[in-house]
Amino acid sequence: MKPVLFPLLLAATLSAGAADFSCTVTSSKGEPVADAVVSLVPVGATVPPVAADAQVEIAQQGQEFSSYVTVVQAGTKVVFPNRDNVQHHVYSLSKPKKFELPLYNPGQAESIVFEVPGLVTVGCNIHDWMICHLVVVPTPWFAKSDSAGTAKISAPAGRYRLEVWHPRGAQAARELTLADGAATQESAVLTLKPDRRVKRPVGGRSSGY
Amino acid sequence: MAFRIFRFRRFSTQLLVLLAGLFAVVQITVYLLVSRVNERNAIEHIDQNLRIGAKIFRRNLIERIDYLAATAKLMSTDYVIKPLLMTDESQIDRATLQTVLQSYIGRVNANVISLFSPEGKYLGSTDEKRGAENARPFKYLVEQATEKDMEQASGYSYLDGQLHVLVVVPLYAPYPNVGAWFGIAYPIDAKFANDIKATTQLDVTFLSNADEDDPRVLSTTLAPGMAAIVLRHRVNLEATGTAPVEMISLGKEPYVTLFERLDLLGEAPVRIALQRSLNVELAPARELEMIVLIISLAALATATIAALWVARGVSRPVQQLAQHTKLVAAGDYSQRITLPRADELGELATAFNQMTAGLAERDRVRNLLGMVVSPEIAAQLLQSDLKLGGEEREATILFCDLRDFTTFSEKMAPTEVLTLLNRYLDRMSGIIERHGGVIDKFIGDAIMALFGAPVAMADAPARAVAAARDMAQALDSLNAELRSEGKPTLAFGIGINTARVVAGNMGSKTRLNYTVIGDGVNLASRLEGLTKDPAYDTLIIASEATLAGITPRPFARELGEVKVKGKSDAVKIFALTAKGETKRPYSV
Repeated sequence: MKPVLFPLLLAATLSAGAADFSCTVTSSKGEPVADAVVSLVPVGATVPPVAADAQVEIAQQGQEFSSYVTVVQAGTKVVFPNRDNVQHHVYSLSKPKKFELPLYNPGQAESIVFEVPGLVTVGCNIHDWMICHLVVVPTPWFAKSDSAGTAKISAPAGRYRLEVWHPRGAQAARELTLADGAATQESAVLTLKPDRRVKRPVGGRSSGY
Repeated sequence: MAFRIFRFRRFSTQLLVLLAGLFAVVQITVYLLVSRVNERNAIEHIDQNLRIGAKIFRRNLIERIDYLAATAKLMSTDYVIKPLLMTDESQIDRATLQTVLQSYIGRVNANVISLFSPEGKYLGSTDEKRGAENARPFKYLVEQATEKDMEQASGYSYLDGQLHVLVVVPLYAPYPNVGAWFGIAYPIDAKFANDIKATTQLDVTFLSNADEDDPRVLSTTLAPGMAAIVLRHRVNLEATGTAPVEMISLGKEPYVTLFERLDLLGEAPVRIALQRSLNVELAPARELEMIVLIISLAALATATIAALWVARGVSRPVQQLAQHTKLVAAGDYSQRITLPRADELGELATAFNQMTAGLAERDRVRNLLGMVVSPEIAAQLLQSDLKLGGEEREATILFCDLRDFTTFSEKMAPTEVLTLLNRYLDRMSGIIERHGGVIDKFIGDAIMALFGAPVAMADAPARAVAAARDMAQALDSLNAELRSEGKPTLAFGIGINTARVVAGNMGSKTRLNYTVIGDGVNLASRLEGLTKDPAYDTLIIASEATLAGITPRPFARELGEVKVKGKSDAVKIFALTAKGETKRPYSV
């Protein structure tokens, strides 16, 4: 009985038209925070599955990952192409997905499907300064804040859990309701931890040896 | 005296110079001594510090080497680099290797990391150009380490013209098989020098070898100009063992300097100069010296004032005494010194006052003596020791006695008598003295005068006769005065005799009289008595002996002979007039 009931309920909740949502992310000092992941996880409703051909790319180029923060819906395939002139050794020891792509040469590409929602921190074994964050969320309604700290999502009306995450700090989730045809404004204030990334040694940074 | 350069006219100056001078000498000596000891101690202290600094410097280098080696060893156990080397040396993916080494740089905190083959061949570096150019000293170290089978090797060399400490550490694959060598260098630059300075408080300068074509300062904590002076300083570092510290003046500031040599890989050694400013080291001591100096000057000033005070305390009374001495010398005995002091000077002043009083007393006595006795006798008394007894000598004795003075005096008041008598005696004694006679004594209204005693004189008889004549004339003029005053006139008689008499002090031990005694004296008295005889009709009677003593013998009226008591021979006597006889008088 229950499995039959749930889709009906979902249909009832998300059947209405789209609602505009935007969230402004600032630091505790009031400065806008970019690269913050804002996601709306439906409450009490099923989530539409990810498209079968959905694919996101995290390339290695200039001994850096192409994007510092990447958000994908769970089940998305992520490709790691080496567009560099040196080899790379991409790996992660994060719980949602532990993997290793041993040294592979420029031009090669490896891909991995991330099924479990959560945070996957990716590094390069031979380049200490290379790091990127892959945020796997259980919802197709997500966005990254821009330089003004604003993230815009268009989602069906209904109840959601708002989650805001940033490599240097996150905010506790809270529930909200998006009304049909109405724009909802939210704001999130993050207490940012210091940026502890390994600084990339610049070739010839010093006058001598 | 030969050794006396200065002669002090004032005692106070002398005392001042002596006290203040001595004090200043002591203070200056102490100051200089302390200053010298301080400086010597400072130099010794710096010497020690420099040697400790040298050790710290070496220790620091060793620690850097150990640190580099330890971190390099960590890298050498890292897996990721190994797959890159699992290929022929010529096939190594250098681009990836370079990025891997760059990744290590972040871990090791080195500027450049290079990789060398087990034979020391350059494989790659974080900086391809520099790595390849500076491969030689690393190769040298790798060869050295391989040869001596060392787990690491280190040394000093120029890289890009800058002094570096170099370390090579093997990449074991697996241990103890050496798969490759990491080469790491750490610059011995101004930052390094400043680190040393921060720990040791010493200035550090690295200098290239003095024999190079263009010697230069490699790095220093000093100002460039100062470092250039150190660079020009020639020092022999060939000798082994510890070199003595040297004093180098940098911008007028003395620096105690210790030179050390640092051997390079296959190159001439460089020099390290460790220095410390003597002034900085001495600053606390100098501050103390300044305080000592101020105290010394204050003490000197106090000593000077004290010396002045003491000197014045001494010299002023002395000056006062000197002033009084001059007064006393000039005959002024009236002044007395008041010096309320309990010390020797006070005693001196008291003694001086007593002396002045004594002198005044003596002078007073002398004056009195001169009045009481004749000045000649007084002189005789003062010159010779007062003693009883006398000497026999020839003298002329003159007796002069007022006639009937006893009855005369009964008619007048005693004071009037005395006044008249004094007036008379004053005239007479004046005449006698004028003629060189000496008043022996006044006997009431009578005068006894001596000629030729106590001072012997050849013409004593003539003087006596002349005096007698003048006296007679003087009596006439006195009588004229008395008559005009309505007073009774005076008359006298004079007897003169010349004889050998005993002259000297006579009397008791406590009371003496200078006088003459003898028959001759008695005769003179008798001759005076004879003038009362109207038969002789004369005021003056002289004996034969007196007249015989005068050359040429004066004319005189012979009065005959008189018998002298106690002598068998009679004595011829003569009458003399007041005017004196010019021709032979008639004889009676």
